[in-house]
Amino acid sequence: MFPVLQIGPLAIQTYPLALLLAGWAALAIAARGAQRQGLDGDHLYNLGLYGFLAGVVAARIGHVITYWSSYRGQLLEIFGFNTQAFLLWPGLAAGLLVAGWYVRRHRLPLARVLDAAAPGVLVGVAIAGVGALLAGRFPGAAADLPWSVDLWGVRRHPSQLYEAAAALVAAAFAARAQRGGARPGAAALIALLGYGLGRWLLEPFRAESAVILGGLRLAQVLGLAASLAALWGLARQRMAHLTPSGSSSPEVSARTSGEGDGG
Amino acid sequence: MSRIRWNILLALVALVGAAWIWVNRLPDAGAAAVSAAGLPPAPAIGHPAPDFTLVDVAGEPVTLTALRGQPVVLNFWATWCPPCRAELPELQAASERLRGQVAIIGVNQVEAAERVRSFAADLALTFTMPLDERGQVSRAYNVRSLPTTFFIDRNGVIRRIQSGALTEATLAQALESVYP
Repeated sequence: MFPVLQIGPLAIQTYPLALLLAGWAALAIAARGAQRQGLDGDHLYNLGLYGFLAGVVAARIGHVITYWSSYRGQLLEIFGFNTQAFLLWPGLAAGLLVAGWYVRRHRLPLARVLDAAAPGVLVGVAIAGVGALLAGRFPGAAADLPWSVDLWGVRRHPSQLYEAAAALVAAAFAARAQRGGARPGAAALIALLGYGLGRWLLEPFRAESAVILGGLRLAQVLGLAASLAALWGLARQRMAHLTPSGSSSPEVSARTSGEGDGG
Repeated sequence: MSRIRWNILLALVALVGAAWIWVNRLPDAGAAAVSAAGLPPAPAIGHPAPDFTLVDVAGEPVTLTALRGQPVVLNFWATWCPPCRAELPELQAASERLRGQVAIIGVNQVEAAERVRSFAADLALTFTMPLDERGQVSRAYNVRSLPTTFFIDRNGVIRRIQSGALTEATLAQALESVYP
């Protein structure tokens, strides 16, 4: 494993580097997807940038509030360049809120924006997964298989690669729906379905999972819930489309393939 | 697909999904320490911390496993490392605040005892400072950059690894993993 890349005198942490790369790839692919959807690609870059900045600020504010007794004596630390002093959830929430605000303010069609972003985000997830394997993050469960990887004296599932592969498959289906002119929101729903199913199916190959309610793996529960919600959304789209009258053939064939693949 | 077929599909996914989740449930919290028992010691989260015995600046031997039953903050540092210098007062404050509850250990990486002693005196550091004179403990813990800090629970299992300087806030946050 290579948690740190040593380039001459420079020591770069692999996982943060992979996350950076993942974010860049996600934005670049999403911007191209936006053009395909008839949107301005710059909007996607702006969404990413504003969401990221808001997320960083909120994540720090969350940390300051949570550990206020530690900050009280040294207020300058609030603005300190410390990459550890962040809380994930407030950051994520603020990032989404600001992105939502941006979409409203520019009157962007939300479903189309999500469709544009979905494949790119999943490619980013896959890149992060490869980075996690290289850095030895989120280790797999012990297993002696021909393709097992050795980490800290234990042969393990390369579960990070399983998850990366699942994300890429989901990205491919979402991209196909996007190109095939599926209804607004369908590509995003297919992406959510694929990602959710992947987490639900593959989480048990991780060595460690957050658990709830007597040992159920949280990621599995959330993954299944997301998949069901996405499937329900896709079903509603199909129903709404089918009930009024017949259907225009090219759209139906595109969506049928997308839905069949996803399910 | 008709409405009925969609409903059947949804129900099927929910059912199969719930079954797979149930089959793969984990034993509840508390069993974590048991699961670590089968793993070899390694500088990794969830593994038992590799044991060592070193002599500290006061000339006393320090053995990690002798501290079992108490959470341990195992910090690797050196006098030439500016971020280490920045965080050592935080570790000192924590060692005073948590005396008898959490063991704060600052392993010095490959420096002469005399140099470490005078440095510690300058900064008024009094917590335990073993001397890793040949660097073998740093190697066993795969320490690539300074400072690096391992948070080890009462059972000797590593729960968190932090590279880079700790502030009072990030130290408080990291401590939650071993001393809630």
